[in-house]
Amino acid sequence: MDDRPHKAHRAAQSGGKAVKKDKGKEKQKGNNEKAFAPKSGRKAERQGRRNAERDQTRLHVPLVNRTPDEFPPPIIVAVVGPSGVGKSTLVKSLVRRYTKQTLNEIKGPVTVVSGKKRRLTFIECNNDLNSMIDIGKVADLVLLMIDGSFGFEMEQFEFLNILQSHGFPKVIGVLTHLDLIRKQATLRATKKTLKKRFWTEIYQGAKLFYLSGVLNGRYPDNEIQNLSRFISVMKFRPLVFRNTHPYMLVDRFEDLTPREEIRTSKGSCDRTVTVYGYLCGTNLRNGMKIHIPGVNDLSVKSISKLGDPCPLPNTESEKRRKLSEKKKLLVHAPMSDVGGVIYDKDAVYVNVPGNFTKGNDGAAHGEGEEMVIRLQDAEDTLDQAVARSQIRLFGSSSKELRVAGPSTLAEDEEEDEDDILDDDDEDEEGADEDDDVSELGDEEDESEDDEDEADDMDNDDRLPSSSASLGGGRTIKRQRQRGTPSASSLGQAGVDFADSDSDLGGDDDDDDGGRWARDMDGEDNADIPSDDDDAQSEDEQSMPRWKANLASKAASAFDSHVGRKRRKNWVSLIYSSPLTPTQIVSGADSARDGDDDDASDDELFKIKRPATLDSDEQWDMSKDAPDDVKSDRWEDEEFLDSFRRLFITGGSSSGQQLEDGDESAAEGDFEDLEAADGDVEAGGADEMDAGSGDAATALAAKKEALKRKFDEQYDDPETSKVDFYDEKKEEMAQQLQLNKAELEGVDEETRALVEGYRPGSYVRIELESVPCELVENFDPTYPIIVGGLLPSEERFGLVQVRIKRHRWFGKPLKTNDPLVISMGWRRFQTVPIYSLDDHSIRMRMLKYTPEHMHCYATFYGPVSVPNTGFCAFNNISDATKGFRITATGVVLDIDRSTSIVKKIKLTGVPMKVFKNTAFVKDMFNSALEVAKFEGANIRTVSGIRGQVKKALAKPDGAFRATFEDKVLMSDIIFLRAWYSIQPRKFYNPVTSLLLSDKGSWSGMRLTGQVRRDEGLKTPLNSNSAYRKVERPGRRFNPLKIPKKLQAALPYSSKPKLMKAQHRQTYAQKRAVILEPEEKKAVALLQQIRALRKDQVARRKDKQEERRSAHRKKVAKEEEKRMDKKKEERKEYMRAAGLKTKRAAEREEGRTSKRRKTQS
Amino acid sequence: MADKNIAKYSGHQHFRHRLVLSFLSGKPVLIDGIRSEDKNPGLRDYEVNVLRLLEKITNGTVIEIGYTGTSILLRPGVISGGNVTHDCPLSRSIGYFLEPVIMLAPFAKKPLHLTIRGITTDDRDLSVDTLRTVTLPHLEPFGISDGLELKIKKRGAAPLGGGEVHFLCPVVKQVKTLNFVDPGRIKRIRGIAHAVRVSPQISNRMIDTSRSILNRFIPDLYLISDVYKGEDSGKSPGYALSLVAESTTGALHCSEAVSVPGGVPEDVAIAASRSLLARIKRGGCVDRQHQILVLLMMVLGSEDIGRCRMGEPTERTVQFLRDVRDFFGTSFNIRPAEPSNPDCDEQIFSCLGTGYVNANRTLG
Repeated sequence: MDDRPHKAHRAAQSGGKAVKKDKGKEKQKGNNEKAFAPKSGRKAERQGRRNAERDQTRLHVPLVNRTPDEFPPPIIVAVVGPSGVGKSTLVKSLVRRYTKQTLNEIKGPVTVVSGKKRRLTFIECNNDLNSMIDIGKVADLVLLMIDGSFGFEMEQFEFLNILQSHGFPKVIGVLTHLDLIRKQATLRATKKTLKKRFWTEIYQGAKLFYLSGVLNGRYPDNEIQNLSRFISVMKFRPLVFRNTHPYMLVDRFEDLTPREEIRTSKGSCDRTVTVYGYLCGTNLRNGMKIHIPGVNDLSVKSISKLGDPCPLPNTESEKRRKLSEKKKLLVHAPMSDVGGVIYDKDAVYVNVPGNFTKGNDGAAHGEGEEMVIRLQDAEDTLDQAVARSQIRLFGSSSKELRVAGPSTLAEDEEEDEDDILDDDDEDEEGADEDDDVSELGDEEDESEDDEDEADDMDNDDRLPSSSASLGGGRTIKRQRQRGTPSASSLGQAGVDFADSDSDLGGDDDDDDGGRWARDMDGEDNADIPSDDDDAQSEDEQSMPRWKANLASKAASAFDSHVGRKRRKNWVSLIYSSPLTPTQIVSGADSARDGDDDDASDDELFKIKRPATLDSDEQWDMSKDAPDDVKSDRWEDEEFLDSFRRLFITGGSSSGQQLEDGDESAAEGDFEDLEAADGDVEAGGADEMDAGSGDAATALAAKKEALKRKFDEQYDDPETSKVDFYDEKKEEMAQQLQLNKAELEGVDEETRALVEGYRPGSYVRIELESVPCELVENFDPTYPIIVGGLLPSEERFGLVQVRIKRHRWFGKPLKTNDPLVISMGWRRFQTVPIYSLDDHSIRMRMLKYTPEHMHCYATFYGPVSVPNTGFCAFNNISDATKGFRITATGVVLDIDRSTSIVKKIKLTGVPMKVFKNTAFVKDMFNSALEVAKFEGANIRTVSGIRGQVKKALAKPDGAFRATFEDKVLMSDIIFLRAWYSIQPRKFYNPVTSLLLSDKGSWSGMRLTGQVRRDEGLKTPLNSNSAYRKVERPGRRFNPLKIPKKLQAALPYSSKPKLMKAQHRQTYAQKRAVILEPEEKKAVALLQQIRALRKDQVARRKDKQEERRSAHRKKVAKEEEKRMDKKKEERKEYMRAAGLKTKRAAEREEGRTSKRRKTQS
Repeated sequence: MADKNIAKYSGHQHFRHRLVLSFLSGKPVLIDGIRSEDKNPGLRDYEVNVLRLLEKITNGTVIEIGYTGTSILLRPGVISGGNVTHDCPLSRSIGYFLEPVIMLAPFAKKPLHLTIRGITTDDRDLSVDTLRTVTLPHLEPFGISDGLELKIKKRGAAPLGGGEVHFLCPVVKQVKTLNFVDPGRIKRIRGIAHAVRVSPQISNRMIDTSRSILNRFIPDLYLISDVYKGEDSGKSPGYALSLVAESTTGALHCSEAVSVPGGVPEDVAIAASRSLLARIKRGGCVDRQHQILVLLMMVLGSEDIGRCRMGEPTERTVQFLRDVRDFFGTSFNIRPAEPSNPDCDEQIFSCLGTGYVNANRTLG
């Protein structure tokens, strides 16, 4: 009866009690200001100070965030930790949480949609240091996994240090394996200690998650849900390096090299490779160089934007507060086995569980299975399908396209494809094209044809990309046979011209996104002016005639255009026409004033003439040609008044001018009074003319502005005053707004031309001449990162850095020892020289880095912008014991030469010594050398200072020197000088991704290491060997003071040398005989001493006896204790063995390497 | 790898801005066919001299001039700045040499203090007055202003020169993004008339003539007569007038006219004043001769859209825009400033800055 559980308390839902309770709650709501009001002035002051302080800590340096708001790239979430800690399990659990799909094997990045405005890319970082460095450079959020039952491991600390030097992303700790700790108290204690350690590494209060056991190969759902909630609300602050560089985490990788080439070169040829991924950071522009860490700098062949494989939900689902269930299923993981399909580097594998037949339609299929089934459904081959197809060139055409002979097939096909693409992309564009066709021929001229040519070529370049976008992110490989221009005779050129329907990009400036049908590619066409009507009419005519009256016809066509005023499209003229600048600018002139038509026409047709011929006249001048100041129009009042509006005295021509300060207008008015009266009248007249209708509205606007200004100033002067921080933020927001507005409505290509590819877009980057090892040894578990390089970072130079040895690295670093440095995107080995600033006079070389202090290092390598952080390693292989980060620091300076010096002492010996002058030899080799050092300070070992004076005729290199005192012949004279040293130009990129065993990269070894590995002995220089120093004993002559002087000296200064006494003294000569009493006394003393001796000896024996007994006893006890200890140890080892066995079973044969932390 | 990265050009035109772009972007540049068809082929003395000047203000620059002098390969080093003294040949004036230096100096390692001697005013290049009153203020909206100074110590007219100019330029970390689309209206005109080794009356005559033309447009007109005497007036006689018009928003337009032998000062004044009016009429926020400078600074700005309204691009500008694309990969978007107004030739140039950071600058 008693052990039945008590009924739980249920709070009243209604009635008086419930009302009462609610009332109480209501009271507690809100802030009771009175309760927290300060009671004393001092307290109020303190509170105010604290609030102000808290306000300041809230502020951060305003940074522009280059990530677009509307379509941001996925957030890169890296899961990092030592092997066996549960990284894959966590990724699987998280992917399952977001997409409700279970991935069997996770390789490479996995992108999922996590919210309406957020996507996440999960990437598991393996335990390799190179991977950790690369991941640390791109991860936005790091889930640092810690084995709760084991504690922190070295890799975790290494990783945190890498993060620190490359910009710290957000870090969340995840404690796993907590189920292995049985005792509750131990668990609590472990959590506490680990949390404390974690907090000291990250910051106080850093978030740490606890994951208990594994269920069904995943972590418990509610714990994962908590974690995912944290991830989804996380805010990110832009990191400086990532905010200035574009980068991409590669999620797909393909080799495009022709198979045949690979076969003939046996796989050792350089490859052409495409990589795919979401752009992050800043805009990636055309022509930008990229670096793939682990490979090297590579040049981009082409970039194209693809359709988003994992798109964010669009406006249709925008109205919901939550993400719809359908969207939750999206997952993009080309390297993993999503839906049973694995995209490998050169193949697609469809994973079919069990067996399946086509028959059972009822069952649901995965993506891969459906693909295979659909393949089975195909009834005829591709060319049959093409032959039967009814593709029309334009939407309005009545006849469908026919597959004709093989020569025209290619061209037609291409056109078709263009068209299909257009139709698919935007229906409007197709309509545009139709318009263009109708406009054919009546609005065209020379320059536009050229544009067409260029744009056609552009079209060609674009084609693969746009076809790829159709395929939803996958390229369709096409073998395009191009009709060579020479093959299709020039007679056919006419046909081609007729085909070309050119968009008049020049006529209408807003419309520059038109597409053109393909024209002939021939280079010679570039300068043949063509008009469609002419070309069409002369379709069948022979070539010479066609060419003969070409110029005149073109001229007449041009004349017809001159009448109309038209505006040039500067963008296409400058960037895509082959015209010279002179032609472009003078063309403008001819279009503007029709007077000098003939001249400019002639000029138009002299393109082929080399411009250098008349170079005599062409000066590279800054001043332009003088304007026509002589002409009569400058006397013409009307002309002069025509641009009066450009001056402030000219009256207001438009409403916008009103805004720019009433004081200027007032000033102008005021000064008008001083000027001639006629001016005032004219100005006034203009103002009147400006229209009485506008005047009223303008006046109203002005009044409004004035009123606002007054209100601001009068009502609350505080609000109008903005502090620096808000001002900066405002400025940034405005600039971002401007950026967005400027390119709004611009078509995709112009946008790519002007600003490159935006972060957040899914792009395909084609890379040329990639080392074949990258493809051969590709492993999806090692992340590939594409980092964009700024123009300055492509260069090499001497980089000066501030460096500090890491305090966990045991040894000091030595000058000229190779060091692996991770800086910017790159990892490379180089040879630094360490130095310290010596009293701001010189940069002095250091042989070793100082303990606990920063010093400078200078090395040759790729340039990074000053203020870039880096970390350095001695050895990045996995086999290294201990802490691998040897130093960290920051870039200070970039230069082409250094001024590091080391001390050198030149020594010489006196050849002849005069009073204060000595001739010194053996210091220099020639008189010329001496001449260089004339006036240099020298010193003897004994400290006598002197100066080099002049070279002696003989022997070579000897010189005269003066000293402050007489030097000895035996003295050594030395000259302290400074010798400038340059770092060795050694740069060796860490090419870890090219290896089959990616962790085993080893760069240049130290000489000692090479000798050890090769089993070589150190060559012994016989001069370096230590021999016994044999110095002849130096004999000093006795000091002799002349007798005369001795006599003159006072007694205290006189030498007091006494000879030893050689005769025996009186006492020595005598023998001693004792008296009987004395004898007795001596005997007694002897006896007493003997007794005492005996007593002491006996006492010692006794003590020894006692001690030995005690020792025996102690030994016995010790033996007993040892036995007990042995038993205990045995027990412990058995338990530990069991545990490791369990762990090994869990990891399923994965090698687990653990290195215990030192600290 | 290195060879692929070289920018290649031919011809002697646009020599200086190609060198400047090479130094700023770090890309080597190969220019060949320099007057190869000419009777007197190869580089001229002033071009060699400008190379020498650029070598002085940089560190680690390698210049290889071909055997015939018709080709040159420049591998740019680091722009170092510091104290530099340079003597110009008498074939070009100081403006020719100072223009590229003005483009480079803000991105040097140390502030530049350049002492340069030669002809201060001639009819081919910008005179030192224009450089001081127009070119340097054009850098101000980009955040290069504190310590930017041009001191004219001595003047030197055309054939023999003898002038001396001190150019001081501070170092910046990054230039600001320009957003300058409102040309405003001209609010004041300033001018400097100088006459060296001729009667001082001449400058007053120029001022009077110019006043008579310009006064009808604006009353805020100050023309000063800048007199240099004795040692400071150079070795040859000459006189010139340079005019600057400033708008309410700070847009500058300038003109200049130089004496010709046998001419009268009134003609010089008329030429300068009328050409100033012509420039004002062309419109834009930036003076015609300084389009390149402004566009370069826009390219080097932070990764934001910079906008500037200008008159029609000149030939130099067109070629410069093409070269910028080769060196920095930046293309400009050029659209008419007033699409509804067919008479308006002004264009709005906008581009996304490259986010160029002065990597030469020393930290701490």
